Amino acid sequence: MLLAFAQFIQKTAFFTALRGSGYVYPAILSLHMVAIALFGGMILMTDMRLLGLSLRSYPVSEVIDQFRMPKRVGFLLIATCGILMACCKAEEYYYNDWFRLKLALLLLVALHAVIFRRSVYHRAAGLDPGSPLPAGAKLAASISLILWTSIACAGRGIGYIEPPLDKIHAQFFSAPVVAPPATVNAEYLH
Amino acid sequence: MFVYDPSTNPLNNNDWAFPLLEIIHITGFAFSIGTIAIVDLRLLGMGMRHQSPAQLLKDTTPWTLVGLLVMLMSGPLIFSSDPNMYLNNSSFRFKMGALLIAIIYNYTIHRKVAGSNPAPMLGKLVGGVSLLLWVSVVFAGLFIAFV
Repeated sequence: MLLAFAQFIQKTAFFTALRGSGYVYPAILSLHMVAIALFGGMILMTDMRLLGLSLRSYPVSEVIDQFRMPKRVGFLLIATCGILMACCKAEEYYYNDWFRLKLALLLLVALHAVIFRRSVYHRAAGLDPGSPLPAGAKLAASISLILWTSIACAGRGIGYIEPPLDKIHAQFFSAPVVAPPATVNAEYLH
Repeated sequence: MFVYDPSTNPLNNNDWAFPLLEIIHITGFAFSIGTIAIVDLRLLGMGMRHQSPAQLLKDTTPWTLVGLLVMLMSGPLIFSSDPNMYLNNSSFRFKMGALLIAIIYNYTIHRKVAGSNPAPMLGKLVGGVSLLLWVSVVFAGLFIAFV
């Protein structure tokens, strides 16, 4: 069903046009990368602040709170570009292991947000007073760094696999297509 | 142009070397362009508004440099995988020009203006130009594969 959906999406007039659009597709890809540079940088800085490696003259709460909006805008931009590109080649990506891995990692990021939201990100002010940061905050930051780096790696990996769609299609269509109607008819007879 | 056979380059004889370099390159520019953008956005009145641009610049400078060094080491290695292709690629040439201007701009005008907590209009101009320069570097880099 997922495969059928992927095929349907990429066959729509909009994504067919986008796929064959010459420079529009690479422009979306470039925008995806620019947004990664701009807002990935903020994720790196936030995580490294939690780990005590960067921006140490700033209270943790400042870094978390003030980057929150720009990071959201950035994520929206990255995700929009990503979804547009994924829909262009939805069927191919359905078979692409790196793409699957990337989606799984994004799910883990969502899980990370749910888990650490209360204890770290929404009580940032409580992390401030001169004392060393609680272990939970450092754990959250380390996992975040690992997850986002892995997502970037998986994303880059997508381009290196080209599932043999021709072969898959050939296999699909060479299978006997005469049989199914008979069984359907048999069902109707009962 | 070069008497050099790319097929002898270890980069072209290992499945993982090239993608790994690309990831290092991308991480490098997330650090460098990312931290430059934090200062630029502050100059444009967005992001870390409780800190002065000068303070932000001072605190992000080491990470900008680390990112730049990573980029400037991984970039030439990527280039070495197929020098003649890159040299003949219009997008690559544009990228090198834009990169040179962006780096010089960053360590002269940008540094001087951001470091002196400029008037809003001047800050916006300088931050905007900086963003534009770096964005064009990234775009040109991606377009190498498409021109």
